[in-house]
Amino acid sequence: MAEKLKEVKVTTALCEIPVAHRIDVYEAHGGYLALKKAIKEMKPDEVIEEVKRSGLRGKGGAGFPAGLKWSFVPKDYVGPKYLACNADEGEPGTFKDRYLIEKNPHQVIEGCIIASYAVGISHCYIYTRGEFYLGKERMEEAIEDAYRKGYLGENILGSGYSLDMVVHTGAGSYECGEETALLTSLEGDRGHPKMKPPFPATHGAWGKPTVINNVETLATVPPIIKEGADWHTSLGTDKSPGIKIVSVSGHVERPGNYEVEYGVPTSSIINDLAGGVWKGRKLKCFIPGGSSTPALPAEKVDIPYDYESLASAGSMLGSGALIVFDETTDIVRVAEIITRFYALESCGKCTPCREGTRWMLQIYERILNGAGRMEDLDLLLDICGGVEFKSFCPFGDATVGIVRSTINLFRDEYEDYIKNHKVYEREFIPVRHGVNGRSG
Amino acid sequence: MESLALHEAVKKFVEERISKYPTKRSLLVPTLLLAQEYHGGYISPELVKSIAKYLEVPEQEVHSTASFYSLLNKHKVGRHTIMACHNVSCYLRGGDSLIKKLEEKLGIKVGQTTPDGRFTLISVECIAACGGAPAMIIDKDYFENMTEEKLDEVLAKFT
Ligand SMILES: Cc1cc2nc3c(=O)[nH]c(=O)nc-3n(C[C@H](O)[C@H](O)[C@H](O)COP(=O)(O)O)c2cc1C
Ligand code: SF4
Ligand code: FES
Repeated sequence: MAEKLKEVKVTTALCEIPVAHRIDVYEAHGGYLALKKAIKEMKPDEVIEEVKRSGLRGKGGAGFPAGLKWSFVPKDYVGPKYLACNADEGEPGTFKDRYLIEKNPHQVIEGCIIASYAVGISHCYIYTRGEFYLGKERMEEAIEDAYRKGYLGENILGSGYSLDMVVHTGAGSYECGEETALLTSLEGDRGHPKMKPPFPATHGAWGKPTVINNVETLATVPPIIKEGADWHTSLGTDKSPGIKIVSVSGHVERPGNYEVEYGVPTSSIINDLAGGVWKGRKLKCFIPGGSSTPALPAEKVDIPYDYESLASAGSMLGSGALIVFDETTDIVRVAEIITRFYALESCGKCTPCREGTRWMLQIYERILNGAGRMEDLDLLLDICGGVEFKSFCPFGDATVGIVRSTINLFRDEYEDYIKNHKVYEREFIPVRHGVNGRSG
Repeated sequence: MESLALHEAVKKFVEERISKYPTKRSLLVPTLLLAQEYHGGYISPELVKSIAKYLEVPEQEVHSTASFYSLLNKHKVGRHTIMACHNVSCYLRGGDSLIKKLEEKLGIKVGQTTPDGRFTLISVECIAACGGAPAMIIDKDYFENMTEEKLDEVLAKFT
């Protein structure tokens, strides 16, 4: 037997200490030493260089190299520059950022300050999902304490560098996690994305240079500064260096957040850390990186959990949300749930996504009501082709993964519904047009 | 239609933060979320008017922004709002049955409010608690690893 996979806790190391959100506790565990090192011993450029060398990749979904993103912000720009820390976490299956801001807020804040120092940023907004009341409270308390200690505000640690930070809440919208929609929301509007280019690095919030990074990405910055880029590249794989929190949910014995090196077998995450498929059942398939990433069949479960391997298998690492389905799963219903999510969360700005997701939802409802037609499967695939790469923002592309992959892998289950006029017995009818529904 | 006097807590919220933003309008979304707490639990036309005046944003644009966000209620709701997750990870662990049980216990359907005005029940998308599925939020509190047995105890906390 191979040795059991162990976690490498970097951003989650303190999360199990119940009071780690307090500044004295965080400092007692080496907190804010990285900030002191960066501000007192390193020039801003050196911080960017170190993060570039570490190979740190964005953990919000796209995996873009963080240091490179920071280096796109013009250095000689006169005027304010902004950092938006993306704590809008809404991708179904993902629950790591809420965990970090509730349990370890200071590490997120320290990462934000170091990133801001490196890029010459004057204002940092922690864009926090509206539902995260506790997370928001924890972040606000932590920010207040950091001000009191001189880690924020005017002339940080006597360096002459100043930074303001504030929590900014959303009010319920998945699309506001998309970086340019987040900025529009920050400006006080409906969460519609903006055209790229120009990119936020030069024309972001209020038209000024802006960096947007995920909570987990930023929380990884202090350890990189403290331990050095070489430490970070010694973990993970060549192209996916470092560690990632994997949010494991669904049919496993122990759902939860597990922080592992990139490149470990997906099966070890499921079996060694999450306790295996629950109830002694067999694995049917899994979604490796959140609802926006295509499902993969059980045969592929040994695949290394890194960006390149998952991409070559036809899926994505995404936000690191591993959803596990056992052999009893009704996969057509799963696809309907995820399609409903996209149909209702589509921001409505562009036609292919707004209409396409609704058509797909209607077809799923028809199939689950026992009134599907055999042509519906081709029609679904056809609509996928009309939405993918034709939508205004990556939301559109994200909607087709679950539809295509489940039709390809489990066509027989769709056909069983259609040919036998099988009806899915609903336990309730979701209503979004009532008290809280969007009218459009 | 008259505008109403904004609650002091809402004004204080804006005053404390405004120096950190280049425009007043930027505070619109968080202000709306806070304001509905103090003004009857939903975004009434009167509230839209007052916030428009206070943040110096055209009324129609306040309405446009408010209508986009799912936490901003369009109508009156009960004293407590139950938001039960109906997304995939919760579904896989009994989320639908939990919602059905809630409907039975409260004697209402998803989207409705109990006749005594105590609870409004809605089902929502993933609330980032999939590790504790099935999960729900009541007002501002998360309840995870929910079971039918725990429901009575949890509901009793909200009177
Ligand atoms: C529809 C949509 C929703 C997204 N939601 C989130 C989110 O909730 N949190 C997040 O960090 N990134 C989210 N992203 C990715 C962001 O656009 C952006 O890439 C990310 O915040 C950049 O940070 P990173 O480079 O540190 O990952 C989303 C993207 C899309 C298209
Ligand atoms: S793809 Fe179009 S409709 Fe969909 S979220 Fe993006 S901009 Fe909005
Ligand atoms: S699916 Fe229910 S909390 Fe994520």
